[in-house]
Amino acid sequence: MAKGRELVGRIKTTENTRKITRTMEMVATSKMKRASDRVVAARPYAKALGDVISSLFNADLAERFPLLRQPAAERRAALLLITANRGLCGGFNANLIKEARLTVGYLEGKGVQVDLHVVGRKGIGYFRYVGRDVVMARTDIGDVPTARDAASLVDGLMADFISGAIDAVYVVHSKFNSVLSTPPHTERVLPVAAPQRAGAGRDYLLYPSAETILTELLPSYVRNAVYRALVETAAAEQAARRTAMKSATDNAGEMLNLLRRTYNRARQANITQEIAEIVGGAAALQG
Amino acid sequence: MLNVSVVSPEATLFDGEASSVVAPAFDGEVGILENHAPMITVLGQGTLRVEGATPMRFHVSGGFVQVVDNTVRVVTEKATPA
Repeated sequence: MAKGRELVGRIKTTENTRKITRTMEMVATSKMKRASDRVVAARPYAKALGDVISSLFNADLAERFPLLRQPAAERRAALLLITANRGLCGGFNANLIKEARLTVGYLEGKGVQVDLHVVGRKGIGYFRYVGRDVVMARTDIGDVPTARDAASLVDGLMADFISGAIDAVYVVHSKFNSVLSTPPHTERVLPVAAPQRAGAGRDYLLYPSAETILTELLPSYVRNAVYRALVETAAAEQAARRTAMKSATDNAGEMLNLLRRTYNRARQANITQEIAEIVGGAAALQG
Repeated sequence: MLNVSVVSPEATLFDGEASSVVAPAFDGEVGILENHAPMITVLGQGTLRVEGATPMRFHVSGGFVQVVDNTVRVVTEKATPA
């Protein structure tokens, strides 16, 4: 039964692997639930901020705010790529890295110098492997990104943008449309796209002035865009891991069926052969 | 009654009715009652008080208050229930 014992070993390892992938699937499912709750919880703030900025915004004010400055030509841009710290989530990180590479290629094709800022061990690993300089590499942002994390990522970039050192900031992240749709996405967060005013806008009493309010709110708006990118990517990572681990669990099940069938067939063949030998032997003795 | 919501980037901390709101504006406290004129004001740092059936207190810092049609939105970068 040499073959049988080998099959028993393979059945056991497959069972163990399935146990692990099933656990990871369940962990990812519960983390994803909480992460997607955070995506939903972040929406009212973003909406309120967008509403107020668009109701205060007008073209005269726009020229006075450095964050709204539309550079005549992009010479140097920063690209912030958000990836996961961990793998085993299917093509999630690969898709993000590919999106970032395409965007970098497109920008460089236009003659823009691109600084890479990367969040997540997977993205950092890739760019280190291909030997590209990464200006900022962060691995300290976990499953629960905070507004403070977002501020620490983007505040330096905002300062560079205001001083004119860079002309644009792009963020590559995953959109969390639904559990099954989490496409990678490139978003330009700076210069701030002038929000469109819906309708005529109300006459607000403004304290202290529209200008001061915008000075206060525009950085919040940019930080919030990055915060949303972080939260959505975290949720998308868990969704991707869940899908990947679910199919791994299913595949392990299929493999187990096949292995068990093969094992049983081998065992039966063995027994049949032994009986045939005994019967043959007995017949020979009687003969 | 006023419709009041208190939102931070991470969560909506309060959403409901209140009879009045006292917010720490950049230059001192501002009180908001029913039928207040539309207003947007920058927040400073301090305690936000929402008075109603169940009075609520929050520590807020930065952000703004928007009042329009008896709807009060307190949008702040940092908010913790006090």
